[in-house]
Amino acid sequence: MEPTERQQRIFDETDAAAWVESGMTIAIGSPPPMALVRQLIRRGFSDLTVIDSGLSLDLLIAAGCVRKVVSYYAGGGFGVAVAPSFRRAVEQGEIEVWECEEGILATGLQAAAQSLPFLPWRGGVGTSLPQINPDLKIMADPISGETLIAVPPVKPDVTLLHAAAADPYGNVQHLGGPGWLDLFLHRAADRTIVQVERIIANEDTRANPWATTIPSADAVVRSPYGAHPYYSRGFYVQDQEHLQAYVKAANAAARDNRSDDLARYLATYCREPATHADYLERVGIKRLLSLYEY
Amino acid sequence: MSQDYTPQELMAVFIARDLRDGEVLRVGVAMPVVEAAVRLAHVMHGPNMELIFLGTRMNVAHLHSLPMPAFGWDRRVVRWAESYSDTGHRFDRVKDWHRHVFFIGGVQVDRFGNSNLIGIGPDYRRLRFRGPGPVGTATLTTHVGRYYIVLNSHTPRTLVECCDYVSAFGWGTGGADARQQLGLPGGGPKYCVTPLCVMDFAEDDKHMRLHALHPGVSQADVQDRTGFDLTTPEPVSTTPPPTAEELHVLRTRVDLAGLLSRSTKGE
Repeated sequence: MEPTERQQRIFDETDAAAWVESGMTIAIGSPPPMALVRQLIRRGFSDLTVIDSGLSLDLLIAAGCVRKVVSYYAGGGFGVAVAPSFRRAVEQGEIEVWECEEGILATGLQAAAQSLPFLPWRGGVGTSLPQINPDLKIMADPISGETLIAVPPVKPDVTLLHAAAADPYGNVQHLGGPGWLDLFLHRAADRTIVQVERIIANEDTRANPWATTIPSADAVVRSPYGAHPYYSRGFYVQDQEHLQAYVKAANAAARDNRSDDLARYLATYCREPATHADYLERVGIKRLLSLYEY
Repeated sequence: MSQDYTPQELMAVFIARDLRDGEVLRVGVAMPVVEAAVRLAHVMHGPNMELIFLGTRMNVAHLHSLPMPAFGWDRRVVRWAESYSDTGHRFDRVKDWHRHVFFIGGVQVDRFGNSNLIGIGPDYRRLRFRGPGPVGTATLTTHVGRYYIVLNSHTPRTLVECCDYVSAFGWGTGGADARQQLGLPGGGPKYCVTPLCVMDFAEDDKHMRLHALHPGVSQADVQDRTGFDLTTPEPVSTTPPPTAEELHVLRTRVDLAGLLSRSTKGE
């Protein structure tokens, strides 16, 4: 039967996570949409190819969800130069890396968005990147013969993002600018799920259409404090203590084979809470309210 | 210790003095010496500098003290931005990056200033040490007018004959035209700054060359801790120590948390 009215795109985080399947290519924006990331872990997905950088990537690796990583940067922070679970899994040969660089990744995402077999990029010429990632091809540009790198499409099956607000029809607004690669990840993906601090009315979208950063996301998930322990501009700052505790636990597991704290972290914050609200209860209202911006 | 400053403070002051008013300075993650250096230059002599920390572009010369951006892109950093660019905007005007200055670290740096953030070990599929990854360094070092290699430690493991993997091209296998031959428009690395000394690249073959020893450091110290034969001019100069004013500004307006002043020798 044909629908008689425009369909809303609001889903809860558990339904939205069901769009993902093991083996898919998943892209994670910044700040990481942690409510969705935690659902991926809770559901026990495996063999994912993950386009991400930083500690959300590390958490997915620690939880055993990842087979392949597309990342230009997996830094740790908090006194650790490299994300601990990432480092260990790569050194052990447990996960594969599609080695790239920021400009190269953006180029591959752009090629996917424009349905092109490749796009050229100069950054990386002269480096080892084309040797250690054979998908990157050195080419002579047909116009002037310059040496460039042909970057193939990098195409997520599903992109997961966090933003400030969206209306029920998937019109998304970021506050203080979209995340680093968010728009690239959205344009390249088959489907985009955006978790937001709040749902706004469609009238609010129409009052200022220039504020729409992503038109027609496929799903919108209501997730106040959903980026925790990361920040959400306009709402809260990063929870340094929480992130530091994670890095400490992940580091102990990766470097000293003491995995108790990491296992406890994964159980307490990712596997046991059934919903985002259950997660927030575990973090506690006091901690959440202490993360004010001003 | 007779000196009243740390090697990290000296490094920051050396870099700050080499930056000119009006320049656009692009700073990445986890480089406290560089973060301090650009801020010091900004308040000492660079009111028209533009500081870009991870896409947040700011001019904060009017502030009495300049907070260090240790919190990613949350409001504590972005509140100072005059503009904020995601990756799309960031790569839109690469053609103008000859006016920009960049700073890079490395797991390994070789004698021609190539650097490696990928990892160490002969077998890429089973690295002995997996590094954080190239970040945006391949693209930035390709295009910026000049860049500085800044290392937290000076050891034969870091300064090597030849990188296991190159994630940012310096001068390749040497030669003044090494970059031109590959069509890389940027000016390449200017200095390599470590806790022991400053090195530059010889005009003819672009081999790394001792430029100045930090006070109290001998040429033998440096050569012992360098994994290749360093070209050495005669006589070798000494890195000028910070002035009292530079140290005062650094400690009271820039490095409020004491990240540099509490550092040890860092060898």
